[in-house]
Amino acid sequence: MTPLLEVEDLRVSFPTRHGRTEVVRGVSFSLGRERLAIVGESGSGKSQTGRAILGLTPPPGKATAARLNFEGQDLRNATPKQWRDLRGRRISLVMQDPKFSLNPVMTIGRQLMEAATRTSQTRAEAKDHALAMLEAVQIRDPLRVFKAYPHELSGGMGQRAMIAMMLIPEPDLLIADEPTSALDVTVQIEVLRILDRLVTDRGMGLIFISHDLRLVSSFCDRVLVMYAGKVVEELRASNLAQAQHPYTQGLFNCLPKIEGGIRPLPTLQRDAEWAR
Amino acid sequence: MGMIDITDLAVTFGHGAARVQAVRGISFSVQRGESYGIVGESGSGKSTVLRALVGLAPVTKGTLALDGDTLIGRRSKAFYRRVQMVFQDPYASLHPRQTVDSVLSEPLAIHGFDDREGRVARALDDVGLGLGFRFRYPHQLSGGQRQRVAIARALILEPEVLLLDEPTSALDASIQAEVLNLLDRVRTERGLTYILVSHDLAVVAHMCERLMVMQHGRAVEELSRADLHARVATHEYTRTLLLASEGYRVSDGAAQGAAS
Amino acid sequence: MTLYWSREWLLAEQPASRRQARVGQAYRTWLALRTNRMAMVGLTIIALLILMAIFAGVLAPFDPIQGGDLRTERLQPPSWTHLMGTDDLARDIYSRILYGSRITLMVVSLVAVIATPVGLLVGTIAGYFGGWIDNVLMRITDIFLAFPQLVLALAFVAALGPGIENAIIAIAITSWPPYARLARAETLTIRNADHIAAIQLQGASSARIIWGHVVPLCLSSVIVRVTLDMAGIILTAAGLGFLGLGAQPPQPEWGAMIAGGRQFIIDDWWVATMPGIAIFVVSLGFNFLGDGLRDVFDPKVRK
Repeated sequence: MTPLLEVEDLRVSFPTRHGRTEVVRGVSFSLGRERLAIVGESGSGKSQTGRAILGLTPPPGKATAARLNFEGQDLRNATPKQWRDLRGRRISLVMQDPKFSLNPVMTIGRQLMEAATRTSQTRAEAKDHALAMLEAVQIRDPLRVFKAYPHELSGGMGQRAMIAMMLIPEPDLLIADEPTSALDVTVQIEVLRILDRLVTDRGMGLIFISHDLRLVSSFCDRVLVMYAGKVVEELRASNLAQAQHPYTQGLFNCLPKIEGGIRPLPTLQRDAEWAR
Repeated sequence: MGMIDITDLAVTFGHGAARVQAVRGISFSVQRGESYGIVGESGSGKSTVLRALVGLAPVTKGTLALDGDTLIGRRSKAFYRRVQMVFQDPYASLHPRQTVDSVLSEPLAIHGFDDREGRVARALDDVGLGLGFRFRYPHQLSGGQRQRVAIARALILEPEVLLLDEPTSALDASIQAEVLNLLDRVRTERGLTYILVSHDLAVVAHMCERLMVMQHGRAVEELSRADLHARVATHEYTRTLLLASEGYRVSDGAAQGAAS
Repeated sequence: MTLYWSREWLLAEQPASRRQARVGQAYRTWLALRTNRMAMVGLTIIALLILMAIFAGVLAPFDPIQGGDLRTERLQPPSWTHLMGTDDLARDIYSRILYGSRITLMVVSLVAVIATPVGLLVGTIAGYFGGWIDNVLMRITDIFLAFPQLVLALAFVAALGPGIENAIIAIAITSWPPYARLARAETLTIRNADHIAAIQLQGASSARIIWGHVVPLCLSSVIVRVTLDMAGIILTAAGLGFLGLGAQPPQPEWGAMIAGGRQFIIDDWWVATMPGIAIFVVSLGFNFLGDGLRDVFDPKVRK
């Protein structure tokens, strides 16, 4: 069986005053219908990796890869039309802050309908679909949210509406970039539950980009740890406590624990070798 | 009598339909040299308590006292010498057009301190930034370095109480550890009193001896660090928070799947 | 051994003194501005205008006030002797435009020096304090804004009496309200920033906060606005001159020169056209520079 997504030697670079700087330096992985986490600190290139897969590297940045296949289709030279057919239909992207991803002057309903009419025959059908999707993301009063503007919703509600919008076309691959970082812990668990069920019930592939190693280890199947644009370690999430790379270990150990722990907290001693 | 005594504090913003009761009757007291935590989710009013204490939010009811002196109306200059605050977002809390040097020198000028050069140098040294950072602008600093500057600014007036409003939530985990260690060390060295506001139970468990859990502007319960270590909580909401802080469990999805 | 004012010194990541930090910051702004072609065109035009004003005495081949022989040198078309021709009093138009740049430059700089601080102060004070202070200051601003600028300036000049000094005062009085509006809007967003709360918690006085923290942040957008308005100010000054209320004859003010050429515009086009081109080029220069400054100061606008 061919994997859902194959990435080989992905590189993203941006021009600076001192020539081009690579922020992603040769990332390779393949993804089946599973939950894959990309973990790293800010500036590790994890978000740029997610964007590059969707062809959304912001100019003047440039992304190149030796291989970038989505279900056998080569994404590297996809035409704008091919991208339109892929983005939002077969591959969706959920971003960290719903405030920036939702149009502030359109009701949630209209934005959902825009996505739903592409897949439905009639308006009524599209509306039913949109409402059903809001219900699916655990919104208790879908009609009220349907008529609301983004600013009238709380952060958690907005993020769930955003996820509903991304899921209406039933994508095969969802790239979620810190989808829960702006949310309260209790809401965070609910959003994860929705994503979890999409993977298990519908067989969707999920790339979960996060800085939160503890959350990721409890939620995902596999973890890629990124440092300075490279994958320094790949391991099963359940084995995170037995990580080999000092960076992964350092990231894991520097978190304070409710049960109490070492004082002062162990800090991460960075090694220039890691970035090689 | 504690270092800080808050009795039945209520804070209301706006009028009429736009009226929001951010804090609805909170009481607690913090002893000298103690570190006290306030935990809650967004909208629980936890940051508003700090802002009310320093006079940035209107007090509608209740009393606030510092070292036995009741605080009413505009805070005096002397108050700000004793109580300082560190904000959540190090990107918003430093003036974008001022060098580290002027950020640190200004409070000294306001309060008429002598030996400003020496104090600025020592303050930078204390927070682990060398003199090389002295004339940099915020945009030349990383998030962690900015937060260190913000801590240096709060410490430079040699206060007795430090209010910390989510001081590490905008930082990476490895940087968070460094900043928490710094705050811990400074407190031991100077015998400071802390009030730390956070949404992260683990951070509060690490930093504070006692804590209060807030929800919808009310205090849910008060716990000691030992309670938290043992995960002993009487209130349902606290238990939910404790559970959620463990991360996601497969049973979360399974339970939901069975229910629907 | 560090070489002062070298590129390395200016762009040092770790400046060693206050002066180096400040100069370095200015140099970075300059580097950003230098890459903006439009801004550089604008800056060149304005630099040329300043040079023209300084060296008018050297560059001008004829006296700007005293004309030549009225019988033979009246209304001559452009030629090698008179590069831009002569007007109805046999004066060399090229020389008059050179000297006129002094008046234009004086108008522009005096208006900027008077109106910018007034607008900034009114706006930041209103925005920072809010409440009744805001209401009073902004209603006064509204009253000024309720009249078209030229009409209001006309009224002031009529009251003060015609003349270039009074025209400058009138233009300055009528051009601060938009800056006050702008500064107030900026202040309202800055006022609630954490870094303002932080300095309040240091026990700073309101005056210190407004002057030291709010004004520097409003300054860049106001400077951009003032630069973009310069074209309008030049045109208002020219308009007042054209209507006979600004610079008085025989002063070589560009607007007044156009007014003078009005009656010959069909037969002797150069009399009105040459000062018109001068006004056009200088206005364009200020607009280019303003756009460039906006790109540098506010990267959000840039694509």
